[in-house]
Amino acid sequence: MRTSAEAIGGLALVVGAIAFLIFIGVEAALLYSAWRYRASRVAGPAPQIHGNTRLEIAWTAIPLVVLAVVFVLMVGTMREIGATASANGPAAMRIVARGHQWWWEFRYPDASGEIVTANELHIPSNTAVDLELVAADVVHSFWVPELGGKTDMIPGKTNHLRLYADHAGVYRGQCAEFCGIEHAWMRISVVAESAGDFQRWLAGQAAARAAPGGTAAEGERVFLQNVCASCHAVRGTDAKAVAGPDLTHLASRRTLAAGVLPNDTASLRAWLFDPQRYKPGSLMPRVPLSDADLDALVSYLGSLR
Amino acid sequence: MSATTASTTLWVRRPAGLPAAGWLRTVDHKEIGVLYMGMGLFFLVFGSVEAAIIRLQLAVPENRLVDPQLYDQLFTIHGVTMIFLVAIPILVGFMNYLIPLMIGARDVAFPRLNALSFWLSLLGGLLVYFSFVAGGGPDAGWFAYPPLSDRTYSTGTGLDYYVLGLAVNGAGTIVGAINIAVTVLLLRCPGLSISRLPLFVWMSLVTSLLILVAYPALSAALVMLFADRRLGAHFFDATAGGDPIIWQHVFWFFGHPEVYIVILPAFGMVSEVIPVFSRKPIFGYRFIAGSSVAIGFLSVSVWAHHMFAVGLPDAENLFFSAASMLIAVPTGIKVLAWTATMVGGRLRFTTAMLFAVGFIATFVMGGLTGVSLAIVPIDWYVTDSYYVVAHMHYVLFGGVVFGIFAGLYYWFPKMTGRLLSERLGKWHFWLVFVGFHLTFLPQHWLGIAGMPRRVFTYAADTGWGPLNLLSTLGAVVMGAGILAFVCNLVVSLRAGELAGDDPWDAWTLEWSTSSPPIPENFLQVPVATSKRPLWDRKHPDRAHEA
Repeated sequence: MRTSAEAIGGLALVVGAIAFLIFIGVEAALLYSAWRYRASRVAGPAPQIHGNTRLEIAWTAIPLVVLAVVFVLMVGTMREIGATASANGPAAMRIVARGHQWWWEFRYPDASGEIVTANELHIPSNTAVDLELVAADVVHSFWVPELGGKTDMIPGKTNHLRLYADHAGVYRGQCAEFCGIEHAWMRISVVAESAGDFQRWLAGQAAARAAPGGTAAEGERVFLQNVCASCHAVRGTDAKAVAGPDLTHLASRRTLAAGVLPNDTASLRAWLFDPQRYKPGSLMPRVPLSDADLDALVSYLGSLR
Repeated sequence: MSATTASTTLWVRRPAGLPAAGWLRTVDHKEIGVLYMGMGLFFLVFGSVEAAIIRLQLAVPENRLVDPQLYDQLFTIHGVTMIFLVAIPILVGFMNYLIPLMIGARDVAFPRLNALSFWLSLLGGLLVYFSFVAGGGPDAGWFAYPPLSDRTYSTGTGLDYYVLGLAVNGAGTIVGAINIAVTVLLLRCPGLSISRLPLFVWMSLVTSLLILVAYPALSAALVMLFADRRLGAHFFDATAGGDPIIWQHVFWFFGHPEVYIVILPAFGMVSEVIPVFSRKPIFGYRFIAGSSVAIGFLSVSVWAHHMFAVGLPDAENLFFSAASMLIAVPTGIKVLAWTATMVGGRLRFTTAMLFAVGFIATFVMGGLTGVSLAIVPIDWYVTDSYYVVAHMHYVLFGGVVFGIFAGLYYWFPKMTGRLLSERLGKWHFWLVFVGFHLTFLPQHWLGIAGMPRRVFTYAADTGWGPLNLLSTLGAVVMGAGILAFVCNLVVSLRAGELAGDDPWDAWTLEWSTSSPPIPENFLQVPVATSKRPLWDRKHPDRAHEA
């Protein structure tokens, strides 16, 4: 089985080759005429030719045939990669992907336990998964170019996208439908991993947060007592809000704020200190915290593996 | 012919000393044409500056030249400006100016309505721009998809001025289209049957009828959006039983024909320029006219190719895919016919001809990438990426704008009595041609590499920096070309070489009157003896070849 991107690439290669031939043909005819029929090169008046019906019928009919062939090839590709492509059998698992201004929420309804994560989509490699695409606010579009085409996330509608990665690795993408001020910083990482790694990842994500100790425990208090908890959830605590990304396993992710910053201690602290500096317009406000509280919060969030 | 030219001096365009207020109350189709073109050039300045800022912002990754809020307003107003306030007014201006002259009429059918349509169009444009004075421009893209364009997510008044401005502007365009269509159908001079109409007039007629089909859909969409935003309606609000996809259908029912509305008159201008500078009649007149009608019909059944990623049922996708592919056939007919017109000709590479040939060379590319966007799976990959930005500019700039420049160099002497400078014209052409391809060719690869459209910046690790920088450098070259054009306009208006009535040895009726034409266009109603009435007069011995 090949990825959607490979199937589309195969079709594009055929179409591109045909288009290239037409392009070269027309440009060559233009250049040749421009060179051959300059007034300075040819003497006497031009013959007054008004047309040639046979030629005109030919250049109407031939493109029709070419397009008919392209159409048939296209239908084949659509069958291969379509959201409901039965040729590849049923998908191994469903994942719900929800677009938010300006981050991605992923839920795994087929897995045991509640698994909610953000901006980093883990899938098993060499296995077809069915993405159920929904939108929380405005229209977004899910696109990871190395894996295939894009499908919109539209309020009031559930779309499907068959996702298949043929080898383990991290695939980058980002939102493709203009969705407001931070559209540019709504990035996706798809992490495809072997079946074993993926199962271990699922098990880790299904767990509630590990009870913090020391400074981290102080950080949890800061988290729960400030506005953080009115948007974010950390499973295992009283924070259950769903407006912002679920943070239960924040520290296991590679980036912060949908790909704006790497997920390390320094970046995390800078982000918490002033989110608007790094993602102006983001719905995360600047929360005024003392240095001690901020350090504790960073330590707590860093402990959520 | 000699009678017309000899008595030209008896007429003066307007009594000397009449105040500029004359422009405010004019109902003369030529003056209204000039007003329309002036409006287009005025807004072109804004649209170009917006484009320049966009390209500067994207020149390097993670640039902070403009903030995202301003950037969103810039690309939105750039699209709105170039489509509604530049392309349409300039093309309608050409139609207004030229059609009565080309069909041997004294004016359009409804001169006062004509004035109304211009002033409505201008008022609409000013209303859209007033948003910036009122607190901020529209910021949801030129196609303003809800819910992003709803009041919940776009809280300012920018979108409201977008709605009001485009509704008023659209009303002007609709009124103007009725006028043009009636003029072409009823005011042709004796002998000018439909099958002898100059191709520019043919395509303007199709454009006018398309406007009558497409623009009311835009008006309806705008009314619904306004009701949602200000009157508590829920047409597009999924949380209250509405559906945001309805907007997409209605908008693109207007939006895709709009592409043909602006490209057909450009096709028409090129179809006039190429034969004259090839010294041959157009190759396959009937096929070109017929293919324009075919484009008109097909163009109202292709809109959902903008929506292949929306998740419509396969059957719908296949229908719109097939219809969109089909439209390549009548378009291809034209490209081949223009090329065949050049074959065997005696080509004179004036600036008008350079732009016409540059148009074909560039538009072919836009046409072919257009077919790729009609192919559903390929569209899934490239839609909403910079590939689409590249494609659309190949069609709208390489097509419409190059066509307009060809037409301007060709008809400027008729409108002003003076030729545009050929020397500055060559600078204009080559800088714009090279700059255009440098700007937009790389964007195809950026799209394929994964760069979405409408991003105010991109991360350095994407690797999109070098091609973006190249694109921005291309825009600088193109900007230099546009400056050459502006210089040319200013210099030639004051001191251009006098043109005479018929500087290009052309064949259509507008060249039989003075330059600029007398207020009533012709001293005597002309008679069209064939598709090329002036050919007949100039070559009475070769009339059978007309």
